[in-house]
Amino acid sequence: MAKGKNSKSGAKKPGPSVVAPPLADTGVAEKPKSGKAKPASPAARIFPVETRFQQLARRSGGVPRDQAIERAQAALEVLKPAYEEDFLEREVSGLCDLVKKVDAGHEEPGWRETATFRTRQLRDSAGSLGYELVAFISGSLCELLDSIESGSDCNMESIVCHVDALMLARHKPYRRMRPEQVPELTKGLQRVVKHVTI
Amino acid sequence: MNLRDLVILVADPSSYISMLIHGMLRGFGSNKILEVRNSNGVLQTLMGQKIDIMICDMHLPPHGGLSLTRAIRGKTDNEHRTMPILVMSSDSREATIKRARDAGANMVIAKPISPASLYDRLSWIAFNPRKFVDTTTYFGPDRRFKIEGYPGGVGRRAGDKEVEIGAESGPALAQDDIDNLFSSVQTGQD
Repeated sequence: MAKGKNSKSGAKKPGPSVVAPPLADTGVAEKPKSGKAKPASPAARIFPVETRFQQLARRSGGVPRDQAIERAQAALEVLKPAYEEDFLEREVSGLCDLVKKVDAGHEEPGWRETATFRTRQLRDSAGSLGYELVAFISGSLCELLDSIESGSDCNMESIVCHVDALMLARHKPYRRMRPEQVPELTKGLQRVVKHVTI
Repeated sequence: MNLRDLVILVADPSSYISMLIHGMLRGFGSNKILEVRNSNGVLQTLMGQKIDIMICDMHLPPHGGLSLTRAIRGKTDNEHRTMPILVMSSDSREATIKRARDAGANMVIAKPISPASLYDRLSWIAFNPRKFVDTTTYFGPDRRFKIEGYPGGVGRRAGDKEVEIGAESGPALAQDDIDNLFSSVQTGQD
C-alpha cells in the first residue's frame, strides 16, 4: 500500500485563523470550459482537514490490498449458497407475485416503489456476488422502472417479460451464466427497454 | 490501509446489500461497523457517537443520500461536518457524479460494489486528503481534484491492466532497414 504524503499531525480545526486564498487562485485540476475563471466569492475559505479516518487508516499494521480483497472475496463466497437457495428464490418470487397481481388488475398501493426496491436489491447483490445474468436482467428492469418514474408510460407487458426472464435466470442451469451466453434473451430485453423508454 | 478500530457507518435501505458491504469491510480488517436503513437512523447515530466514515446509498429513504450529505455538511455546529462520505450509486452518469460532488460527498462508488472498488476508494480517501472549501453556497471537500489511479490499486479505468513487455533482444530493425523505410516514405513509395 502506498504511503500518504501528508504528515501525521493532529486534526486541524477549521476556523477563521486559517487564511485561505479565494477559490479562483487555488487548484488546477478543473479548468473552466469557457477559459475564464469564475469570480471567487470573497467569503470563500479553503482549509486543510485531517480526519480521524485518515489518521488511523494510514497506521502501519493494516491488511495489504491483495490480501484484503482476497479475504473480502472469500467472505462473499461464503454467502453464495444461501443467496442461491434463499435470497434469490425469495426475492424473484416476491417480485413475480407482485407484478402478476398488478398485471391482473389487483390494487397494490406503492407497488412500483416496492418493485423498484426489490429489483435494485437484486441487481446490486447479484452484481457483487458475480451472478451476471441476474444482474443484467434486473438492471434492465431497473432502467424500465426508472423510466416510468421519469414519466414514460407504464407498460406492464415489458415488466412481466423481465420478471419471466428473472424467473428463468434464478434456476440452476442459468444462474451462473453470463448475458452473452443467452444472446436471444438479452437482446430481446434490450429491444423491449429501448422501445418502451423512447 | 488499517481500518481497525475505525467506526464505519453503512447506510443502505437494503439489509442484504448492507450485509455484503459488512462482509467486505470485515475482510479489509474493519471491526466496528454500524448499519442503518434510513436518514433518520444516520442522524440518530451521529448524535449518539463519533463516526469515522459513512458509506451511504444515493437512494437512502426518505430524501436520498445527497440531501443527507448536504444536511451533514450544512449544519455548522456539527462535529461530523467534515466526516468522509462515500456515496454509493448505480447511476454513474456524469450529471449524477457532479450532483454528489456538489452535495459534498468525498467520492462516489458505483453499485454493484466489488471488494476491489470499495477498497480502492476507501484507500483513496485515506491517502489523499482534500482541503475543505467553505463558501456561502458550498461546504465540503475541494471539488477540483484528479484521480491518477488509486494508491496501490488499479488505474483510472476498470479495464486497465498491467502489460508485460518482453526483454529487449537487440534492435528490431537494422539501421539500413530504418534508413530505407524513411527514404521510401520521402519518395512516396510503399
